[in-house]
Amino acid sequence: MRPRLLSLIRRTSSTIRQDVDAELQFHIDARTDALVRDGLTRDEARSRALREFGDLEDARAYIRRVDTAIEQQRRRRDSMSELRQDIAYGFRTLRRAPTFTLTAILTIALGVGANTAIFSVVHGIVFKPLPFPQPEQLVKVWSANPTAGSMQVTVSAVDLDDWRAQRTQLADIGGWWYADGGSGIDFTGSGDPQRLSVAFISPGFFPTLGVQPALGRLPREDEMIRGGNDRVAVLSHGFWQSRFGSQRNIVDSTITLGGAPYRILGVMKPEMRFPSDRVELWIPFSTIPDNATPRIRPVRIMDVMARLKPGATLAQARQDLNAITQRLAATYQENTNWGAATVMPLADAITGDVRRGLVALLAAVGFVLLMACVNVASLLLARSTIREREVALRLSLGATPGRIVRQMLTESVLLSLIGGAVGVAGATFGSRALVTMASGQLPRTSEVQLDGTVLLFAVIASLVTGVLFGLAPALRARGTDLQASLREAGRGLVSRSGQRLRTGLVVSEVALAVVLIVGAGLMTRSFIQLLGVDLGFRPDKLLAVNFTINTSRHTGQAHRLVYREMIDRVRTVPGLVAVGAVKHAPFRGNGERISFVPDGLTLGGGDQAPTAPLFHISDGYFATIGARMIEGREYTVQDGAMSSPTPGAPPVFSGTPSLIVNQALAEEHFPGTSAVGKTLRLGQTRIPIIGVVNNIRQTSVEEPVQPAMYINNMMNSRVGVTLVARTRGEPLAMANAVRGAIWSVDREQTITSISTFDQFVGEAVARPRLLTILLGLFGTLGLVLGAVGLYGVLSYLVSSRQREIGVRIALGAPRGAVLGMVVRRGLLMTAAGTAVGLVVAFALTRYLRDVLFGVEPTDPMTYALVVVSMLAVAGIASAIPARRAATVDPAIAFRSE
Amino acid sequence: MNRDAMELLQGTLDVLILRTLAWQPMHGYAVSRWIRERTEGTIEIEDAPLYKALHRLERAGCVSAEWGVSENNRRARYYRLTATGRRRLREEESAWRRYAAAVFRVLEPA
Repeated sequence: MRPRLLSLIRRTSSTIRQDVDAELQFHIDARTDALVRDGLTRDEARSRALREFGDLEDARAYIRRVDTAIEQQRRRRDSMSELRQDIAYGFRTLRRAPTFTLTAILTIALGVGANTAIFSVVHGIVFKPLPFPQPEQLVKVWSANPTAGSMQVTVSAVDLDDWRAQRTQLADIGGWWYADGGSGIDFTGSGDPQRLSVAFISPGFFPTLGVQPALGRLPREDEMIRGGNDRVAVLSHGFWQSRFGSQRNIVDSTITLGGAPYRILGVMKPEMRFPSDRVELWIPFSTIPDNATPRIRPVRIMDVMARLKPGATLAQARQDLNAITQRLAATYQENTNWGAATVMPLADAITGDVRRGLVALLAAVGFVLLMACVNVASLLLARSTIREREVALRLSLGATPGRIVRQMLTESVLLSLIGGAVGVAGATFGSRALVTMASGQLPRTSEVQLDGTVLLFAVIASLVTGVLFGLAPALRARGTDLQASLREAGRGLVSRSGQRLRTGLVVSEVALAVVLIVGAGLMTRSFIQLLGVDLGFRPDKLLAVNFTINTSRHTGQAHRLVYREMIDRVRTVPGLVAVGAVKHAPFRGNGERISFVPDGLTLGGGDQAPTAPLFHISDGYFATIGARMIEGREYTVQDGAMSSPTPGAPPVFSGTPSLIVNQALAEEHFPGTSAVGKTLRLGQTRIPIIGVVNNIRQTSVEEPVQPAMYINNMMNSRVGVTLVARTRGEPLAMANAVRGAIWSVDREQTITSISTFDQFVGEAVARPRLLTILLGLFGTLGLVLGAVGLYGVLSYLVSSRQREIGVRIALGAPRGAVLGMVVRRGLLMTAAGTAVGLVVAFALTRYLRDVLFGVEPTDPMTYALVVVSMLAVAGIASAIPARRAATVDPAIAFRSE
Repeated sequence: MNRDAMELLQGTLDVLILRTLAWQPMHGYAVSRWIRERTEGTIEIEDAPLYKALHRLERAGCVSAEWGVSENNRRARYYRLTATGRRRLREEESAWRRYAAAVFRVLEPA
């Protein structure tokens, strides 16, 4: 058999039938003829031939089936070998045009890579289910105070116990208290004392999540209640590895935490990183002593989640919890206005406030990919004109138009897959860089990885890209007019339809770029606004040392003396300008929310007193952080005076309690008058206000400052301390000296963290900064891609119309006019694209509203800037080809090809 | 037709066809005649299974088929042994020989 690459003749079912019939007929006829030659009559011969043959019809049907199968097999083989041919041909073509190929691959790599990186982050954080069994049953629960309009408040440990006891629609409910750098415990007895990061958990915590330990067991119910045997701990896998070298016999051993013996019950699996990857221990909430966090209803500090009973709905859970909270509100006076609960899926609660920003990023990066597509499509189009002769030749040699389209598409998909592969390689770095940049600012970053789903996304993105940018040029190739092409190709005539298509591409590209730049511009403006916010303090050169005074060693009132002495010792350190302390530094905690009754406010029967966070501060705190007293004064050392009631007895606080309030509280409750000298009733005590401090941003930079109260830590003592020192030089350079001063008071004192206020502020704006950087990056990319696209099309236009331009110049057209013609053309396309882009941006950017600060999504200034910069860039992109046009040698018009 | 003819042993037909086509490419009718002549009517062969076998062998890639012109100037489908077919023939032939030798060793008196 002759070797054949392709079987040109396709056998249809009717030709198969005819062939089978003919073959069998030939046999019968031949046999009949032979028998006739042997002397039989024709009839006899024929019937004998048929008899010898056997079941003719059965054979006919069988053979048809087999032949059909053979044909199908052949077609499959043919299309495979066609594909192989197309791919080989594609590779050859791409290799012959290395500049084009490289440009296209890089453009696609950029688009696909950026998309893959962003998608990997969004997928890990937003789309991937939580790593717990039946994660859809998990909900987050908050206490709600509808009267105060506070619908998402953390929960009191006492309330939580009641919720758990009375629940009907929930399989279980559990809570935790965890604050990054705030919730911890001292670990002593093996080497240097160390501050461990702890999640303090309620009895329902582990059962609600449905997790099991890798080693040992989880605490029993009776090990998680006050007065029970609750000094137990469960280790995180990472802590177990790093601190105990993965020893399995650690289970049931005893370690010293906060000066007391705790039994290690078990070790969790590596994937258990809830509520944070930084958790090293899970310890019963019941172990927290009352002088750290009083276990009473008004102290609402626990995060709570619940697991729905199988089949129970969110609405049923809501109903259940509302009924319980209403009962509690009716029973306990301190819960009067707290007769409601807010319930939402846990996944939404975790990712809720980052979702908008991430989705905006995904949209922006999608636009970048679209622009990459448009750019490559326009490159391909320019090439397809060059290739028209090749296409025409193949058509004339008998290739079908369908075959040509397939060949072209194979080529573009080949390009996009190579580009995609390069892009994915880049995305692995990009994804890691993003996670590093977002460190601590995004939830669930440990789940961000380039897994199967992300790779699938990349492959699909590449394939869709390939088809998208390959389709237009491929379809155009199909429409190639044989005769016209063979005649005209290479003579530099631009077909009208090709020109229109390219113009359309540029216009849409400019439009996409405009949308991207508007997004980037809005975000940048918003970020600048954010940085310009008056924080109420000067964060530069402020060192913050966070620690917790140990009450098991400094019993009774002794911890107040330790506090006093530590501040005094640090004040003697040379190089410090001022020293103070606060329990919760700005952006490091929300204080303790309590209710108060100001002078002149009489509460009716159902009225609830207003609430505000109370911050525990030292004397000189405001001066240290650079806050300003609006009126009155701040605490002095004398305000916290301690003396011994009887000679020899331990000293106790002996001064008069007083309060400082912020401007927001003063304006809300004492409008138009001086707040100093007025009193606030906290609980049963009336406490005078001695000063009003300016508003200090405490929870976030964006949100307006709420009323707040400050109390001297000597009057109402807390063991959690952030010691703040204003330094003359670089703050962190003073860290050792300050720590030394603290250790000179108590060598056993553990330090939770040492940082600067600049870092706190930086972290508080890190999320918008990340979004700004990325949107800015995509905006720049958009601008560059748009400019490159415009430049490409105009250069193509100039080079393909050289002869025409030459004629014009020969006929006396001034070179300036030629230059103007090209630039005008570029700007016209840009103007059209910009107009379209502005409309789209106007429609889309309102989805950015939630992540913008101090800027309207329709900010006219941003839009104006975008238009100006787009036109400027377009002008430059047009000028280069225009200059080339103006320098065309008129002789070209007369040169033959 | 010989009344005493034996039934064709299962699987024998394929090897007979391959052997036949090993001489030269031929159409189905010629294959049929050739086998009948060589077996001298000892084995009863119908043409229906023969054609089925030819197409089956084509599907297996053992033979290829092409239209040609017969001795009496008619369009006939010619079958040709492929490399695969040749290999298959060698394998089956030696299998048959071993099989027959074994049977004979039993049948022949010691």
